[in-house]
Amino acid sequence: MAEKKMKRAIGSLQPDVEEILHWNDLPADAFEPASESEKENFIQDRKSVSYWKDAWRRLRRNKVAMVAMVIVILLALFAFVGPMLVPYSYDQQIRGANNLHPWHYTWEDKQRISAYMEEQNGLANLTPDEAVEQARAEAEAEGREFTRIDEAKVRAAAVAGAQGGGDTVTEEEAAEALGIKTKPFGYSDDELQRMANGESVFPHVFGTDTHGRDILARTMMGARVSMIVGICCALIVLVIGALYGSISGYCGGKVDAVMQRIVEIIYTIPEVLIILLLGTVLRPVLSNFQNSGDGPLQSLVTVLGPNLISIFIAFGMLYWVTMSRIIRGQILQLKQQEYVTAARALGAKGGRIIKRHLLPNCIGQIVTTTFLQIPSAIFTESFLSFLGMGVTAPMTSLGSMCSDALGGLSTYPYRLFIPAIILSVMILCLNLFGDGLRDALDPRLKK
Amino acid sequence: MGKYVIKRVLMAVLTLFIVICLTFFLMNAVPGSPWLSERNPSQATIDALNAKYGLDKPVIVQLGLYLQDLLHGDFRESLRMQRDRPVLDIITTMFPISASIGAIAIGWAILVGVPLGCLAAYKRGTWVDSLLRVICTLGISMPGFVVATILLHTLTGGIEGVNLLPALFDGTPKSYIMPCLALGFYPMCYLSRQTRTAMLDSINQEYIKTARAKGLKNGKIIFKHALRNAMIPVLTYLGPQIAFTLCGGFVVETVFSIPGLGRYFIQSIQNRDYPLIMGTTIFLAAFIIVMNLIVDLLYKLVDPRINLSKGGN
Repeated sequence: MAEKKMKRAIGSLQPDVEEILHWNDLPADAFEPASESEKENFIQDRKSVSYWKDAWRRLRRNKVAMVAMVIVILLALFAFVGPMLVPYSYDQQIRGANNLHPWHYTWEDKQRISAYMEEQNGLANLTPDEAVEQARAEAEAEGREFTRIDEAKVRAAAVAGAQGGGDTVTEEEAAEALGIKTKPFGYSDDELQRMANGESVFPHVFGTDTHGRDILARTMMGARVSMIVGICCALIVLVIGALYGSISGYCGGKVDAVMQRIVEIIYTIPEVLIILLLGTVLRPVLSNFQNSGDGPLQSLVTVLGPNLISIFIAFGMLYWVTMSRIIRGQILQLKQQEYVTAARALGAKGGRIIKRHLLPNCIGQIVTTTFLQIPSAIFTESFLSFLGMGVTAPMTSLGSMCSDALGGLSTYPYRLFIPAIILSVMILCLNLFGDGLRDALDPRLKK
Repeated sequence: MGKYVIKRVLMAVLTLFIVICLTFFLMNAVPGSPWLSERNPSQATIDALNAKYGLDKPVIVQLGLYLQDLLHGDFRESLRMQRDRPVLDIITTMFPISASIGAIAIGWAILVGVPLGCLAAYKRGTWVDSLLRVICTLGISMPGFVVATILLHTLTGGIEGVNLLPALFDGTPKSYIMPCLALGFYPMCYLSRQTRTAMLDSINQEYIKTARAKGLKNGKIIFKHALRNAMIPVLTYLGPQIAFTLCGGFVVETVFSIPGLGRYFIQSIQNRDYPLIMGTTIFLAAFIIVMNLIVDLLYKLVDPRINLSKGGN
């Protein structure tokens, strides 16, 4: 049939097909081989862009997310490298350094202040007669006449001073009167003396607390605890949620129905109530376990501390639900795709399909959800610690530092503000970076 | 619809039962007993007290007896915090305080948060949107105790010359201001973010174009057509949040020393007052579960397109 020639009817206005088919015939010399440089240009023109590179390119253009990332990295350095640079440890009680402010007077200034205070307060403690005598002596020394009016004034002032009692000069007033300004960082008297002798002493940058513990070192430790809790909880949630969600989504049918009922029940359980209870229950149990021997598990408990582990367990039990729902939804969509049918036709087992085909294809969702779990875990941990249900002394966390600071809030407000600001900035930046990550990994979601 | 309602109610009851059992076993697993105090009672005294309150029986029997009492509406009496006062009585005196603060807090959160979200969506891409986004992200990044303590410090004399409000809660209208502000701040920011996202979704729909083409006024488009459809995700969040806020912010009650249910719950755990722990947990959990149930059922009313027979997703 194909060989059959199209016969043109006489007088037809139709164009000749045979002719048209040959319009595009090229002569033999129409092509010439590409030169070497042309070949190179062709290859270099467009590099293949991998998924991660593409995401990174998008992320880099997001200024807010990049700033947040830099701040998170700085905070991580503060938490993990910082304690190595500060010579004080978080639970070391420095003698004679209780309640230091994060500012100080130099040793010479301090002596001048105390001399001034002694002079002023000493005057106030004189009896009226003594005060008059002293004033007369001063007047004579300066060559002035000491009138009766002056005498009455001095006497009245001395009487008022004796009666008032509280009219003594405080350190701040003395410093103000002498025009002495405070210098940043706190030092104890002992350390000031050593500095005056030419030794170099590491300052208490944020001052010290009631027990003489360096607040900078404690803040670093608290930030470290927060970050560890955030990352570990996110990983626990990731593992449990991914396993549960992918099995439930892949198997479908009755398995899915039962698993989803369980998820729904856990979803409605008021988690804060259960976490508060779990925390108190697990802590003594874990301490007993810790003291029961010295196997590798026991030493793990010792390294992390029983309180942190009980928070992890609480998280592992209750917070994986959201993750499992998201992954199940993704897998329900993905398992209809042809490549899954192809894999199944080739005889791949369920586990392999989930591991090699389904999970890698929802990696964007998994990474973002896991990352956004970190700030929420830090949030919950600080909340528990603030209520006294999280980490216990001498271990510290930003939440428990805030609750410790409540007692002396009016005198030492910075003890509250320093950990509170670091905590808020940490959660804020993790949230912003997580949002940026979501936009970068899944551009369809971008609004 | 009827089948769906029945299924949901059964699920809620099952959840409540699981919470009761879980709490009971957890509570009994906590080492220590309600009788330990500074006076250090003798073993004989402890045994006698245990026998009197039925704490010497196996845990599973105790649970059975407790459930039996519960079905008769008996929450038993407190063992330690207020010895022999009925738990139900304690709850009914404390809940109104928590609930009134919570109601005001969630009220202002909705009244401010939802319009702000609409505004941000309407002015998308402008400086108003950016400013609101920064504030709201900051708001959901600050734990409740940070907001509460900063308010406490700045408004009660921490700054020279500023001493507007009383630091301690004493029931006067003035002392309500700070706890309500602190408690409502997080939900306000969260609501406004949620509303913005949902509004952006619905503003891009075709029916908004139609409404605009008809020549409707902007206010009518935003509030009547767009917001109504944007309310579904907002409602999802609001249900549990209302329940939780009404039941008392644990943190806010601790910071402002409010004699509410949340603070009392924490104290009862620390004191191992078993009936009180059970009573408050059941009360709070039931409240939250019922709110969730109501939200699930409300979906259908707000959006008739949702097909309940497929599980309501």
